[in-house]
Amino acid sequence: MTSKRKAAKKGTKRTSKKAAKKSPKKAAKKAVTRTAAKSGKRPQRRTARAALAVATSPRKSAAQRVAAMAEAPLAVCEADENLQKMLDVLRNADEPIKVRLAALQSLQAASFSVIAFEACRGDYIAALRQVATDPDPELRQRVLGLLAREKDGFAQRKLLEGLRKPEKALVPPEKALQLLSYDIHADAYAAAREIVGEPPNPAAKQEALRLLAADATAAPMFEKVLLDKGELRENRQIAAAALQALRPEKLQERAREILLDAGEYPEIQATSLTALTQFGDESALEQDQPLIERVGRLKGEGGTKVKQSARQFLNRYVR
Amino acid sequence: MRELAIPGRPSEEELGERVDALAGDPESRRELRDLLREEHPIYEGRGAAAVVRMRGWILLALGRIGLEDADLPFVLEELDAGTDAYLVAAAARALRAYPRPGPVLAPFVMRALANIRYRDEPVCFGGYGEYAVGGGDTTPVLELLAALAWLGPHARESLPELESLRAERGGTFRKRAAELERALTAIRGDANERAPAPSVDACCVLPGSLGYGSRWGSRSRRGEPIGALRLEDQAGEWATFGELFRGHPSIVAFFYTRCDNPLKCSLTVSKLGRVQKLLESRGVDELIHTAAITYDPAFDLAERMRGYGQNRGLRMDAAHRVLRAPEGMGALSRHFALGVNFVGSLVNRHRIEIFVLDREGRVAAAFERIHWDEREVVARAVEVLEESEPSPATPPKPGSQLLASLAALGIAFFPKCPICWAAYLGAFGIAGLSQVPYSPWLLPLLAAAMVASLAAMWFRGRATRRMGGFYLAALGAVAIAVSRIGPAWQEVALWGAASTLAGSLWSAVSVGKAGLRNGRGSPWRARLSSP
Repeated sequence: MTSKRKAAKKGTKRTSKKAAKKSPKKAAKKAVTRTAAKSGKRPQRRTARAALAVATSPRKSAAQRVAAMAEAPLAVCEADENLQKMLDVLRNADEPIKVRLAALQSLQAASFSVIAFEACRGDYIAALRQVATDPDPELRQRVLGLLAREKDGFAQRKLLEGLRKPEKALVPPEKALQLLSYDIHADAYAAAREIVGEPPNPAAKQEALRLLAADATAAPMFEKVLLDKGELRENRQIAAAALQALRPEKLQERAREILLDAGEYPEIQATSLTALTQFGDESALEQDQPLIERVGRLKGEGGTKVKQSARQFLNRYVR
Repeated sequence: MRELAIPGRPSEEELGERVDALAGDPESRRELRDLLREEHPIYEGRGAAAVVRMRGWILLALGRIGLEDADLPFVLEELDAGTDAYLVAAAARALRAYPRPGPVLAPFVMRALANIRYRDEPVCFGGYGEYAVGGGDTTPVLELLAALAWLGPHARESLPELESLRAERGGTFRKRAAELERALTAIRGDANERAPAPSVDACCVLPGSLGYGSRWGSRSRRGEPIGALRLEDQAGEWATFGELFRGHPSIVAFFYTRCDNPLKCSLTVSKLGRVQKLLESRGVDELIHTAAITYDPAFDLAERMRGYGQNRGLRMDAAHRVLRAPEGMGALSRHFALGVNFVGSLVNRHRIEIFVLDREGRVAAAFERIHWDEREVVARAVEVLEESEPSPATPPKPGSQLLASLAALGIAFFPKCPICWAAYLGAFGIAGLSQVPYSPWLLPLLAAAMVASLAAMWFRGRATRRMGGFYLAALGAVAIAVSRIGPAWQEVALWGAASTLAGSLWSAVSVGKAGLRNGRGSPWRARLSSP
């Protein structure tokens, strides 16, 4: 190579590094286009392959790699080698966390194409299990989320273990409960009940209540929460929704009681009005004069939400 | 937070050790097999993932000591409808420990391949409860391909399907090309082939011990007395088990709406819809009732059941219902000997099961674990329909109806005093005196006969669900009893006798109609023979 050429190449490299610092997306696009031009026939595939080459190359900057990851999913399952390269990035704790998170996102995007991903799924799940105990909390949480959506027994066991022994917890209790709620068969009801009894924080209690909304035996507990004025309003609203799913007739009874109680909070009154308007027993409510009178008063004196809900109620039941 | 402990129940790890110990002793095979029953207490209160770990480990243990005929249903069940990678892989490995490979096993392996190919995850069989982290020992597809290689020429019928899998351009089978090739080579056999080609007789006959399509003769039928158990249907109507299932044969399937295995509950209910269509095509849809009963009555409310049935093409009316038993799941479970277990109120494991009930609501046939064939179930139900009707629903013999009327008349006209005697003498004349039946012991005898006939009418009314005749006859009996108070009430006896007579006739006609409806008459018999 002549000295002129060398100088020109150095200049290009310096320019591209500067450009990469200024605009990593543009630089990644250029790098991908350059690599794509060298390989492949079909433009989309060619771009994806090139993107994967950039994304998994430790010589590229983190920003370039992250940007390239977005275009790589199509190439992930083209060859086992491609998949392994991506999984290596995901597993490698020495890689920048931004790149690992982007690799995870790219793999997740590839997995949407169920047929194309068929051969990759096994290795992907095994790699996710490996990363589920990674030191980085964000990566750990995302990976556990993906596994939990697959109803993975390994992830469920880790999450339950963390709820029982907080020192082993991989994610905060509220997150663990949220992830466990993806599978109604996960045996998390006992843990959730304990958290409702002794919540480590309000968010955990809220998630525990959400999870228990699928437990048919929890209806009496939800009745109690719904009627408890000392309870957070969000929790009472969760309880109302849970009762509607588990024992709709109980919600109808309790909603009526709440509406007749002058000291009740407006949000709960609005929720109760909505429940009665949408799911109420038409013949019974049309005859319920005390309730109709009370809703009539709420229409005049309540807050905006209550007024609106009261109007809907009256439109439906008062002819 | 502490671990939920149920007294007397082993932890998962203890259970794993126990299974290992049992696997070391072939004498304990029965106990090991017993642990695979879904209703076994070891599964109670455990999550579905724990149940998978436990059952997978037990299947592997059975595989280590060698499979017997009685173990086979548990293995084939997983291959037939399993969607969990660990359980399917364990079942495929256990199958290879069966001493008699045969062509009948190949369709199960092929079905498992089709079911699990999109969930071909690495699994680990190294120790109890281990998961494949990073990489695993094996995968379900690898185990299934090994099972096909083990079947060898017995799996020849599957060759075209396997060839088409090999021709796929990508996917699982491209990745497992070497193992697929090995299976194909084993199936094709070679010049020095040892295994015999499948004979026509050997094909398609499941070992008798499979427990598929069990049936019981009318004398040995199982079932607990649960006639009074109340069930709610998809329309919110309540009825007792007796009212729903007595007086006609029924086909009963079990399901729950939150089942996440599409090859179990969802498919069962869809197939029940097809059973209903088959009954219709044979003209027996009013004579043989169908029901889908939920395992999860606390969650599956009427509206949910209705939606679930509608979405799966189920016919729902008075003869065909979807049911829940919120307060009688235990009794129901004992009556049908259900293969189900729970964590709280939620099902954690169940088998596929459908039953044919006879006219008394007893289990006459059961199709369990393996996917059932709609035509076979319908044929069995028709056989039950053709059986002679049991005693309670049997149309009364003319004698018994006559007895009720005669007893009532006897009491009504029995002479009570000298004045009555004088009246009878006036009516019959002195010549007829010898014809007047008078014996002091006759009155209690006639009363007993009348009570007995009333009781028979009551039973008959319960069985046919037509009580009008009984009520009328009972009213007549009361009137006759009142007439015995004194001469002033004597006229009431005539009304009583007439009422008893009318009640008896009504009861007889009702039972006759019910008998016809239940197949005693001929109109439907001709239709049964048509396909």
